Amino acid sequence: MFMHDDPLLNLRRGGGGRAWIRKDPALTASVSILWALIGLFILFPLVSLLAGVFFVKGRFTVENLLEILSTRHQLIAFWNSLWLAFLVGTIGTILGFLFAFTACRTRVPSWLVSVIDGVVLLPLISPPFTTAIGMIFSFGARGLITYHVLGIKGATVYGLWSTLFSEVLTYFPIAYLALKPMLNGIDSNIERMALSLGAGRLRVFRTVTLPLCIPGLANSFLLLFAASLADFATPLILAGNAFPVLPTQAYLQITGMFDIRGGAVISFALLVPSLLVFFLQRYWVSRRVYVTITGKGAGQLAFDSVSAPVAWLLGALCLFVTFTIFYLYALLLFGSMVKALGANNAFTLNHYKVIFTEGAKAIRDTLIIAAFSMPLGGLYGVLVGYLTAKKSFPGRLSMEIASMLNYALPGTIVGIAYLMAFNAPPIELAGTALIIVALYVFRYGATGIRTTVATLSQIDRSIEEASESLGASSSFTFRKITMPLIAPAFFSSLSVVFIRSMTAISATIFLVSINWTLITVRILENITELSLGPAAAFSVFIVVVVFAVMGVINAAMRRFKSPGAAR
Amino acid sequence: MTAVEVRVEKISKRYSHAVKGDVFAARDVSLKVEPGEFLTLLGPSGCGKTTTLRMIAGFEKPDSGSIHIGSEDVTFLSANKRNIGFVFQNYALFPHLSVFENIAYGLEVRGRTKAEIRREVGEVIELVGLTGFDRQFPAQMSGGEQQRVALARAIVIRPQVLLLDEPLSNLDAKLRIQMREEIFQLQRRLSITTIYVTHDQEEAMAVSDRICIMNQGELIQEGSAEDLYYRPRNPFVAQFIGRVNMVEAQVLSMSRERLSVEVFGTRLSINRGALNPTIGGHVTLVLRPESVDIERSEGSGSSATGRVVSKTFLGEKIEYILECSDQRLKVMSIDRGWGSGPGKGEVVALTFFEDTIAALEDPKP
Amino acid sequence: MKRRNALVFFLTLTFLAIGLMSAVAQTVNVYSIWPENWARPMFEEFEKATGIKVNFVRFSSGEALARVIAEKGNPRIDVLFGGPVETFAAGIAEGVFEPYKPPVFDKLEPRFRQKDGYWVAIADDPLCFMTNNQFLKENKLQPPSSWEDLLNPAYKNMIQMADARTSGTAVTRIFSILEVNGRNEDKAFAYMKKLRPNVQLYTKSGGGGTLPVGLGQAGAGIFFIVDALDTKAKGYDVAISFPREGIGSAAEAIALIKGAKNPGLGKKLIDWATSAEMQKYFAKYKINFLPANPDVTPEASLAAVLKNAKLFPIDADYAGANRERIVNRWVAEILNP
Repeated sequence: MFMHDDPLLNLRRGGGGRAWIRKDPALTASVSILWALIGLFILFPLVSLLAGVFFVKGRFTVENLLEILSTRHQLIAFWNSLWLAFLVGTIGTILGFLFAFTACRTRVPSWLVSVIDGVVLLPLISPPFTTAIGMIFSFGARGLITYHVLGIKGATVYGLWSTLFSEVLTYFPIAYLALKPMLNGIDSNIERMALSLGAGRLRVFRTVTLPLCIPGLANSFLLLFAASLADFATPLILAGNAFPVLPTQAYLQITGMFDIRGGAVISFALLVPSLLVFFLQRYWVSRRVYVTITGKGAGQLAFDSVSAPVAWLLGALCLFVTFTIFYLYALLLFGSMVKALGANNAFTLNHYKVIFTEGAKAIRDTLIIAAFSMPLGGLYGVLVGYLTAKKSFPGRLSMEIASMLNYALPGTIVGIAYLMAFNAPPIELAGTALIIVALYVFRYGATGIRTTVATLSQIDRSIEEASESLGASSSFTFRKITMPLIAPAFFSSLSVVFIRSMTAISATIFLVSINWTLITVRILENITELSLGPAAAFSVFIVVVVFAVMGVINAAMRRFKSPGAAR
Repeated sequence: MTAVEVRVEKISKRYSHAVKGDVFAARDVSLKVEPGEFLTLLGPSGCGKTTTLRMIAGFEKPDSGSIHIGSEDVTFLSANKRNIGFVFQNYALFPHLSVFENIAYGLEVRGRTKAEIRREVGEVIELVGLTGFDRQFPAQMSGGEQQRVALARAIVIRPQVLLLDEPLSNLDAKLRIQMREEIFQLQRRLSITTIYVTHDQEEAMAVSDRICIMNQGELIQEGSAEDLYYRPRNPFVAQFIGRVNMVEAQVLSMSRERLSVEVFGTRLSINRGALNPTIGGHVTLVLRPESVDIERSEGSGSSATGRVVSKTFLGEKIEYILECSDQRLKVMSIDRGWGSGPGKGEVVALTFFEDTIAALEDPKP
Repeated sequence: MKRRNALVFFLTLTFLAIGLMSAVAQTVNVYSIWPENWARPMFEEFEKATGIKVNFVRFSSGEALARVIAEKGNPRIDVLFGGPVETFAAGIAEGVFEPYKPPVFDKLEPRFRQKDGYWVAIADDPLCFMTNNQFLKENKLQPPSSWEDLLNPAYKNMIQMADARTSGTAVTRIFSILEVNGRNEDKAFAYMKKLRPNVQLYTKSGGGGTLPVGLGQAGAGIFFIVDALDTKAKGYDVAISFPREGIGSAAEAIALIKGAKNPGLGKKLIDWATSAEMQKYFAKYKINFLPANPDVTPEASLAAVLKNAKLFPIDADYAGANRERIVNRWVAEILNP
């Protein structure tokens, strides 16, 4: 069924669906293959999950769900998850806004902005426990800060506040990266004008700047809310037992109580809010943000939204937060190079020796899997983005939604779904690398869909029509015209898939096996076995590798751009 | 390659608008382009000319009707199989390819050898006057240069039909005039059947063999520039092409070919055309500004007079606005030198060039 | 289409790689519940002795059992190595083990073997109390010598112990408390409820609390002696003590997986691990397990530590039968008060 009553849509797609498919074999082939893959690796696992939750011995029942949800323990976990996500969303957005505002609207020196950009990037590209390790050492009963510096006795690092702290530090960069271009895109002339009309700076901020930012702020809030809701690793280490959250509970249910069904049910409770937030963010809020940004405001003069003293204050705050992050990572680096952090601070490179010998298998496995996932994930994102944005075929909208599902859902859910789907015949992939690669491709490759669609929207359709008019088939046009123009989107997608492949844990922890193991899982094991040296060393290794690969990808992207190619 | 004809038979395209309901972008449009002819679709924006062009190109599928290029029915053929050349309003050059590569693109698609491509692209580059620009990229070139590349790209593949969608509207006035001349010359040289879309009537008249005027999705009238100018078949056409005075006149008598009417106190005999008015009834005269000659009234024998309300010196001509019998009349007069012609406030006598006046049915009040 | 070919190529490569890995001759696949530091040296010695390579992954006892059960239809491993016996007892009920009696079977004490041969013990591991000396000094306390000592308000929020859902240490601990209270569940749970306010954290793995106690982030914990002594050996300032009411000792076992792909190799590993061949290395690698094999004498310092401790074995059958129920009750009543 087409929803092509919008004349713009009609004119854009060049009319009618079915007739064109028969005449365009490349299109038909691509769509069919994609549906087959999406069906196998996205829909089938989710159906298996739902079947496991709702069907006992062939009968439909909500017993499982009710039983688990009426357990006080799980209900607490449910509300905790929501509450934590809400806090992270709010505080993280505020923090991200603080940073974005300072970077765009005050005259802080550009070197400072570069430094902030660099440090803020760290949490995004490192494994999820990195801040947690540093936190335990800094804020525990014998913590570096709480005990040695502040002399507080019996402080506990476990619970809501440290989890919140760690998650905010980990996720606020997302808000920062989302809000910065938005603030940049708002024409500062608007604010200047308000100023010239006699409004004080605070009033300008309140009545002009802030309202324009509201869609962006809402967008960030939802992004962070979803991220926190799905976070498995940080609460596992920092939340303690006083503050259980759903992803961790699901994991413990499966791994501790060998109850896959129970774990599936718990994760199902997570599914509903996650999907809700995802669709809200994607189909309502972010659309309005996009509209705000398209007014290109590049190249405008720096504008002082605030007076100098306030600017200094903001700058100082940002520096403080940046320094905190830096400190935690420095602690990590330090911990990787001393014998036993906190007890024996003798310098040693033994931990690195350990990770490259005993951990060599994990390193090799992780890199191999990442190397395979990267191009496949990039291709997936670009292909789906291109087809859903530019071509018309039956079920286009359904494909758009289905392709994003694994990304929308928390990793725990997807991991459990894969476990349930592929653990037994007819399709048995458990224990292979393929299942992990598939997870990465269809989960993280989906980020490329958005980027591709955005890039494509900047390419006028007349360019593709020009190619068509010159006699080129769909695939020729795609190869020679579209692909080079969306190369930037492809490369950024490569980056994302690689970073996520190196740092993912919440889904893949269910999928490692005797044959294939991942660095992040080893880090978790090391942390729980309290071999913090190797854990830190592994983490440093990941950060370095990710930086290096990203550098290579960026260099390749620059070389790829010919003079005069699309921005 | 011999030129082919293009035959469009009653094509329509409809879409649903949220506010307006069902709207026809094009309704029952039929036209025929002779081989090698330069046909222009002319009309205001939203009239359906671009939609029609795009349907001929294959970018849109008509809801009904048929399109033939040469002897082939291409109605359901996709654009890339129609062997057309299309020039876009925004040029649509491939930003990541050089001028040479842009032009070579269509030949590449057709699987020509490198040597052939080099030769043919070289020829066309010279043809459009872009020698030396081979390695430039579109972003480094001016609008006019880009348009030439777009043109070159479309013609190098020797299309059966050349389609141009308002190719000059993004250029400044002087460049537009220069470019339209070049396009005209090029088309003459290559003898490709060409369909051109524009909203600029002067442009249309300058380059076309025939013009089709469209409005609100329908083809209103087609013919040569002169046909449309001097023999408009309805007020829309009359007012769209050139400047015009629409004047009411009373029918005194009529013969098989001519009409005798009274206007401004004088009697005129004009071409009757296809009209069938009642004696004593009214018709509307299409009076071009240059169809009236004025001179100082003393000593003239004309009974039609008017007073000069304004006089504007425009270089090679003078524009007068006269008041005659309570109507305003725009009159164009050739300048004969400084200070020539009647001045403001003067009473002048009007002489009419009857062969240049057309009559239209009086619109019902 | 080039893209599709590339995809097929990569997939083929992947499958080949996997195939290759499992095609390496003479490899036995193992889940080890023992931490890597201890499992790895043992497996290396095994390879030295027999030429058979051990491919292993480490999981805590709950996770390991969960995996084995989940993989029941298509087992990926041959042997489950280490871990407290109640984990194995629970596994028997799920039908995941294959009975096998190694040569030393009859030589072992009855508590160190399952009568049908579903599991055999490779070590014995008593629980103990471990406390941070600084903490004791600051609070003017002696190392706890009774279960009741841990109820002291000075310990508020300063004790770390294992989570019963994932750790065998915790299950052993809970069954010790049950045993000390004459298997009266209500009495035992009443004690644990009283203890709750003093618990800072329930850790995922059994030894998870040792470092915090060593560092002083926590004041005390209940651990297996292996973990406690390991912490002390690393140089942390801790004290080890035992309650006078008695504390449990859990046997560490090994079992053959039903439907294993390399049963022959698995049996060889079991033979080796249950014999003095492996257990003589405990002393060498400073692994403070008590050997299950009577031919191996416990290492001197270990024996010294345990000299006056009142230890009792955990009844594997009783624990195995009631594990799930007790753990569920623990989760409901103790974990989240």
